[in-house]
Amino acid sequence: MNEPATLGEALSRRGISRRAFLKYSAYLASVMALPASASQAIAQGLAKARRQSVIWLSFQECTGCTESITRSSSPTLEDLIFDLISLDYHHTLMSVSGDAAEHAREAAMKENKGKYIVVVDGSVPLKDDGIYSTIAGITNLQMLKDTVKDAAAVVAVGSCAAFGGIPHARPNPTGAASITDIVKDKPVINIPGCPPIPEAMTGTLAYILSFGKLPELDHLARPKAFFGETIHDRCYRRPFYDKGLFAESFDDEGARKGYCLYKVGCKGPIAYNACATLKWNHGTSFPIQSGHGCLGCSEPHFWDQGGFYKPLAAHAGVSAPLIGAAAVAGAAAGGAAAWIARRHQQRYLAETEAIDRSVGKDKG
Amino acid sequence: MTQQIRHTHTVPGCAEPDGPTGMMHALLREIADALERFVATGEVTAIDMRGLPLSDADRVGIERQLGQGEVSAILTVAGQSEIWETAISGVWWVRHLGASGGVAAEEIVITRLPEILATHPDDARDGLVRLRAMLAAPPADTTSPHIATTEDAA
Repeated sequence: MNEPATLGEALSRRGISRRAFLKYSAYLASVMALPASASQAIAQGLAKARRQSVIWLSFQECTGCTESITRSSSPTLEDLIFDLISLDYHHTLMSVSGDAAEHAREAAMKENKGKYIVVVDGSVPLKDDGIYSTIAGITNLQMLKDTVKDAAAVVAVGSCAAFGGIPHARPNPTGAASITDIVKDKPVINIPGCPPIPEAMTGTLAYILSFGKLPELDHLARPKAFFGETIHDRCYRRPFYDKGLFAESFDDEGARKGYCLYKVGCKGPIAYNACATLKWNHGTSFPIQSGHGCLGCSEPHFWDQGGFYKPLAAHAGVSAPLIGAAAVAGAAAGGAAAWIARRHQQRYLAETEAIDRSVGKDKG
Repeated sequence: MTQQIRHTHTVPGCAEPDGPTGMMHALLREIADALERFVATGEVTAIDMRGLPLSDADRVGIERQLGQGEVSAILTVAGQSEIWETAISGVWWVRHLGASGGVAAEEIVITRLPEILATHPDDARDGLVRLRAMLAAPPADTTSPHIATTEDAA
């Protein structure tokens, strides 16, 4: 039997209807804060797309990013995302295959020249010619350059790949660098986090497949759909901040009442990520909901910010009374969480309509 | 359809506010505005429930206020989905569950019929191909029920 031409055809051969795309796209629109009405355009794009070749490189990392993506929760995303992509090489998952894995990478690069996506987790050591991390005798730096050369785009997942992460923390003994420090001639998307939210990784890949273009990125090359607002903006404890109600320690009455964790070091106000809305472990919880402040792990240099338990104001030299003033100033914003979501959706609606037209033109 | 649709979804969590936040009335007004547009112009609106800062009490309150209408459906594709028309005609509740049974996506859709319930033209074409193939193949099992034809009648 011939290889199916499109994802729609591939699912059809397995007896799965287009409703699967509609369901997945409803989910994708929700996690990317796109207007719910955009899901039809996504479904059409996915049905007409071809399977995307993905080569996944793992460098100076802890495997947490891979652990995260393989636990993504959605309409059987475990099945669907791997129907949408062809994971031709994954260093960690295929390491036991040895030489055969490296040949698979080379074959995928040759067959999909100019079309494949390289996903990288982990930073790249540059010191002493990069000898601190090698795979099959090849330095990470060399493997990255060789693999990226004919790629369509690069996705740096996790804070190590996006910003250097923990290997880059002072004193950075290996000279760890981020992917954007090295790759200058290809589009790079950063999906930071330690680990990143699985839906941010899979959602970004599905977006590229649906629309045939990169999602809108912020100044740090992060998809705005997931990194457009701070944890603080969407935190359910935000009303306590607005009222000036704070936990002063982890075992005081304020902590027991679920007050804002700003004074015990929460970095939510400066951390752009979607933990407060998407949450973790099948939407069960996220650090703040479990009683611990946000570490700001999706921001550059998060490990060197001067202490996880020191309030942000202490870093900036702001006095305690000013925290209260900030709280008062934030009161108006606190009631506007729904408005923020709406504004975000409206911005995307305009863009999606334009994309919808171009997708119809290109793929129809 | 024998399967009952659950009408209360509890969001797990240890410290989220569980009382009403005032969002319920705001959302009901938004639904009313959308329904007004639908009646006047046919414009379909979908409201993503996960994008709104709703407490458990808000969710339960909205479900109770909207009630249940005459139509409900269970969709089984890539996990289960629960879809029902609320007691307000034209206002549909669409809840997609993930593999683990948690809510993956949830929308209130103001429309005649949610798109996902209708048969996609491509699927109908695929169905026709399968049916033609079935009819063209010799019967594999002689004990299968006999389909009456006009020849039998003669």
